[in-house]
Amino acid sequence: MRHFVTCMLAALALGHSAFGKPIELGASIQLTGPLANTARYYRDGYQFAVDKINAAGGVKLGNAREKIVLRMLDNQSDTNLSVRQYVQLVTQDKVNFLLGPYASDFVLADSAIAEKYGVPMVQGGGASDQIYSRGYKYIFGTLPAATEYFGSTVEAMAGLDPVPKNVALLYADDAFDVSVAEGTRKLLGSAGFKIVVDQRYSSKTSDFNSVLSLIKSRNVDSILVAGHETEILNFIRQAKSLNVSPAMYAFTVGVQSDDFRKALGRDAEYAFGMTPWLASASLKNDYFGDGVQFAREYEKRFGYEPDYHSAAAAATVEALIKAIEKAGNLDPEKVRDALTRVDFDSVYGPIRFNTVGQIEMPQTVVQVQGGKLVPIYGPKGFIEKPLYPMPAWGKR
Amino acid sequence: MQLLWQILVNGVLLGGLYALMALGLALVWGVLRIVNLAHGAFIMLGAYVCYYLFAGLGLDPFAALPVAMLVMFTFGYLVQRGVLNLVVRAPMFDTLLITFGIDVLLTYFAQLAFTADFRAINPSYAGDNFELLGATVPLVRVAAFGVALLLTFGLWLLLMRTRVGRAIRAAAQNLVAARLYGVEPRNLYAVTFGLGTALAGAAGSLYGVVSQVSPYIGSSLTGKSFAIAIIGGLDNPLYVIVGGMVLGIVEALTALYIGPTYTDVASFGILVLVLIVRPKGLLGRTA
Repeated sequence: MRHFVTCMLAALALGHSAFGKPIELGASIQLTGPLANTARYYRDGYQFAVDKINAAGGVKLGNAREKIVLRMLDNQSDTNLSVRQYVQLVTQDKVNFLLGPYASDFVLADSAIAEKYGVPMVQGGGASDQIYSRGYKYIFGTLPAATEYFGSTVEAMAGLDPVPKNVALLYADDAFDVSVAEGTRKLLGSAGFKIVVDQRYSSKTSDFNSVLSLIKSRNVDSILVAGHETEILNFIRQAKSLNVSPAMYAFTVGVQSDDFRKALGRDAEYAFGMTPWLASASLKNDYFGDGVQFAREYEKRFGYEPDYHSAAAAATVEALIKAIEKAGNLDPEKVRDALTRVDFDSVYGPIRFNTVGQIEMPQTVVQVQGGKLVPIYGPKGFIEKPLYPMPAWGKR
Repeated sequence: MQLLWQILVNGVLLGGLYALMALGLALVWGVLRIVNLAHGAFIMLGAYVCYYLFAGLGLDPFAALPVAMLVMFTFGYLVQRGVLNLVVRAPMFDTLLITFGIDVLLTYFAQLAFTADFRAINPSYAGDNFELLGATVPLVRVAAFGVALLLTFGLWLLLMRTRVGRAIRAAAQNLVAARLYGVEPRNLYAVTFGLGTALAGAAGSLYGVVSQVSPYIGSSLTGKSFAIAIIGGLDNPLYVIVGGMVLGIVEALTALYIGPTYTDVASFGILVLVLIVRPKGLLGRTA
């Protein structure tokens, strides 16, 4: 009997080496901690894509097909821990390639590890322009540039009737939101909008009463907020309780996500947001079919609606796989070079990295209407009619 | 001028809620000499209790508040009897460690049990407001402020006018003498801790109505409560109200005149100043 087991083990070992090791992808994600709510899109998006690719046979390497294994660690929403975990993934676990964490602050820190060890990191969680301004060669991202986030919103604002007279710009003090604000300030300036309130707030804050009172006292027509979901939730609730109702307000995050709209209920109405991705049947893809199928299967499996983060996460994995197949081996440098040349249609949209490693993708302006997310303005102009101006809180 | 008036109103109302958050922490600290690092987690749990009573049973949050307080009192009582009592005479460092542990445990338990989704206790009147001399006053904030004042005054009455209160104060002042007079500290400490936790539960319920609830709101609330307790002083629950107001007004003014990034700098700056100038709190007896 013992002999038999030994034989089996030997056979297994042989079999293993004959087909090669599975390709290991490492990621450190905020599975717990304050960012866990949004990071779950990456946890589930990465896993979903990996399982799909494996189910389709795996990665083509020459004549063989290799399975992929995802090694995901929990960084507890702690940047320092995430840096240590990426070092561990590269040096001890010796994963082949890296997938990024959620949020620009994390990507900024973690991409330094990818660069130092020369292991390509593809990430769908950080959009700050700072990530790509350091001349790093091993970082690639599937979110469009933060500075452009409000681009389509500002265009749409110019087409509203009546055009908002002035704008308040609020932003949190992290890498992503500071980048958004820098870009938006320029966009607003060149579109001829007058910025009457321009304030940065601490991302730990839960109280917006002072800022809202200031906004109210200056008769602000439109408010643009770049922040995190909790802050935007508080912002809208406090705007209602202080009776601040501008003609429109738009937010970088929150509006797109299902549980955010649920938490706010009717108070989420009229809020504008943006998304580079909407589940559409026109987004054809080899692994997922199309955008609608992706969304349906994702929701069935994970129990909540995907948003653009999920689609970006799936595209992130696929971009890496495409590059590995293009390179034909697992050499980090070859794969890195192949990444600069990937060009395919993902379930998220066309993926092509520019010279710094970021993709360019237009944002669609969306608005909450009747509890649903309605596309309002895209690259080709208005899609659906915006509900504008927003009625006062007492008249809803 | 109009704006300044509005900001002051905001600050005072915020201060009331802050005070209620800090009240339980100050009580436990003053009597048990335990700086409860899990206080924010208790606030978070209280908020969830209120949220589920509201969302699940359709109970009005202000009606759910006493229930949440009762649940949290029981929970606090048990935590003290079962866990903290083991280290009540241990050095400060041990109690800090153990309450920190409870905080971590509760936070992650909350994520498992309630998920990381955001919740808001959002009754139909949550956004209502009225005008007062030109300032917009949010209704629920006023109600929260009223509840905070009521509970503070209630606690003050309890401590000053009842047998239990006298026993609690006696135990805080001189435990040996209190025991000689028949005070049974084990039970008394558990009751005190339960009271502190119940106050955290009340604060959490109100916080859920004016803000949002997630498993991670705790740690920053512990920090705030700590600062308020120090600024006000631990001797008297009414001092905590003053500490809360000071912090609320300072934060509101800082956000307007210096910028909302700097509210924490201002509040912890005051904390440091108070520690240097009046280490027993603004109103506490000077050492």
